Amino acid sequence: MARAWADSLIKAFYIAKKDAKVYYFKAPNFTYGLLIPVSLYLAFSMAGEISSKLIVAGLTSLVMLFGTTSIEAVAVVLEKQTGTFERLLAAPISLFTIVLGKALAGFFFGLILAGAVLFPLATLSGIVVMNPMLAVIAIAFTSLAFSALGIIASAYAKWVPEAQMLSNFLRFPMVFLSGTFTALETLPSQLQVVARFLPLTYSVEALRSSVGESAVTYTYILDIVVLALFSLVLLVLSAKILEKRIA
Amino acid sequence: MNLALDVHNLTKQFGQILAVDNISFTVNQGEIFGFLGPNGAGKTTTIRMLTGQTRPTSGSLRVAGMDMIQEPNRAKGCMGVVPEVSNIYDEMSAWDNLIFAAQLYGVPKNERKKRAKELLELFGLHERLADRAGNFSKGMKRRLTIAAALIHKPSILFLDEPTSGLDVQSSRMIRNLTKDLNKNGATIFLTTHYIEEADQLCQRIAMVNQGRIVAVDNPEKLKASVEKHQIIEVSFDKTQNLERKLASLKYSSKVTQVGDKFRLHVRNTSEVVPLLVDFARENGLKIVSINALNPSLEDAFVEMTGLSPEVMATEKEQGKKAASLG
Repeated sequence: MARAWADSLIKAFYIAKKDAKVYYFKAPNFTYGLLIPVSLYLAFSMAGEISSKLIVAGLTSLVMLFGTTSIEAVAVVLEKQTGTFERLLAAPISLFTIVLGKALAGFFFGLILAGAVLFPLATLSGIVVMNPMLAVIAIAFTSLAFSALGIIASAYAKWVPEAQMLSNFLRFPMVFLSGTFTALETLPSQLQVVARFLPLTYSVEALRSSVGESAVTYTYILDIVVLALFSLVLLVLSAKILEKRIA
Repeated sequence: MNLALDVHNLTKQFGQILAVDNISFTVNQGEIFGFLGPNGAGKTTTIRMLTGQTRPTSGSLRVAGMDMIQEPNRAKGCMGVVPEVSNIYDEMSAWDNLIFAAQLYGVPKNERKKRAKELLELFGLHERLADRAGNFSKGMKRRLTIAAALIHKPSILFLDEPTSGLDVQSSRMIRNLTKDLNKNGATIFLTTHYIEEADQLCQRIAMVNQGRIVAVDNPEKLKASVEKHQIIEVSFDKTQNLERKLASLKYSSKVTQVGDKFRLHVRNTSEVVPLLVDFARENGLKIVSINALNPSLEDAFVEMTGLSPEVMATEKEQGKKAASLG
């Protein structure tokens, strides 16, 4: 059993490595992953004052959201279109291994983007990242959850534009409902309830705690636990949806 | 005899559409087994089920004794799959494509490079090993796809239309390779719409139409099953407007023009030859050649499916065009 899991994990890493080479690690993808979140923040910071701690936490979450889902959403569709997905399906690996491999590629890409935003921005703004280890764990689960979200969009889509539309449908409401630009408490109470069902809410909350915008309390740990649960549930869900779509 | 494939009552339904209808057959180990049928007959859906890419709606399927439903990864590990459209990663080099395939199939690390090198040499791609596969010609991509399917030395190789759309040289190379692999003990499951290719390569053939198997046997027995008709092939020094005139000839049930030749389906050759000589004299024609043909696999196919091979080829091309436009 343990050997089977180890084998599955190793093969998922091979798929992630291949995806990184084929889809992710290209200059335009890094630019795109950073461009939209930065533009959104610039637009909102012009409308009102946003504290630098809010910017650092929110921007880090947003680059992960846009960076991972943008490519993840089309990676499976492109493979289905070119027939390479059949190569993966015919190989002696489970569908969950394929999904895990795809999600890992997005996960590493998200980690790099978050690292490229959080630490330089924090240093420039004179912000101290409290408990960097917890911050890294929060970033890791955020990146994994968003990667799985991208796969869900990709599983439903037949063509690249459809995948992009679906991922935008998932991303943009989240951006405005998760307290990314303002404190969650400023939203109407019904929307605050909706926000609790969105992974971005917990990512922003955890990262705010990590830069000292809000106190590091048990909620920080709770945010990380919820992000871990989101990662697991979204991964399993994406594998189930994909299984149904290719049946 | 050990069975490479043991298929029982395999069915696949997509909503209201019955793509594969309760098919059963076996493939012996070391055999080249052909799966012959027109576009939409259910060939690709069958291959997708046999290779574990999609689950059957019902039925059972064993690959080299392993249940594909219960232990799919073990079953998939002993097969190599070459789909109809070459499915290598265009962005990766030939070398990286093979190494990735080796990694997926669990080829030990110390063997991967050796095996990739051997295959690139075998397929004449060694000098281009570092080039992006996207820059390869169609024939080269096909060869690389087959090489990737062989990286783990599978005991069963699925070839879906392996020579479709290839130049003569590449097609011949792939046919020879198929024979060589089979000589070395590999079982080959071949789908093709080239009847001649199936006739040349396969030890047994299943003819499929509308999701059902209409016949399974070796090519010679399939041909013998339609021997009630004999065929005379005749060519004259002129060909204009002769098909209709020949059709009115006594004892001839059907006439088809094939290039500059006419094929007459007759019950008894000896009765018709003198009539053809008279026909040529009466119409001021010279007979260039006259031959009695044995029924071909194509005749057997037409007899059993009711489809003409031309229709089959046309459907195939239309299907490909639609796919490329889609």
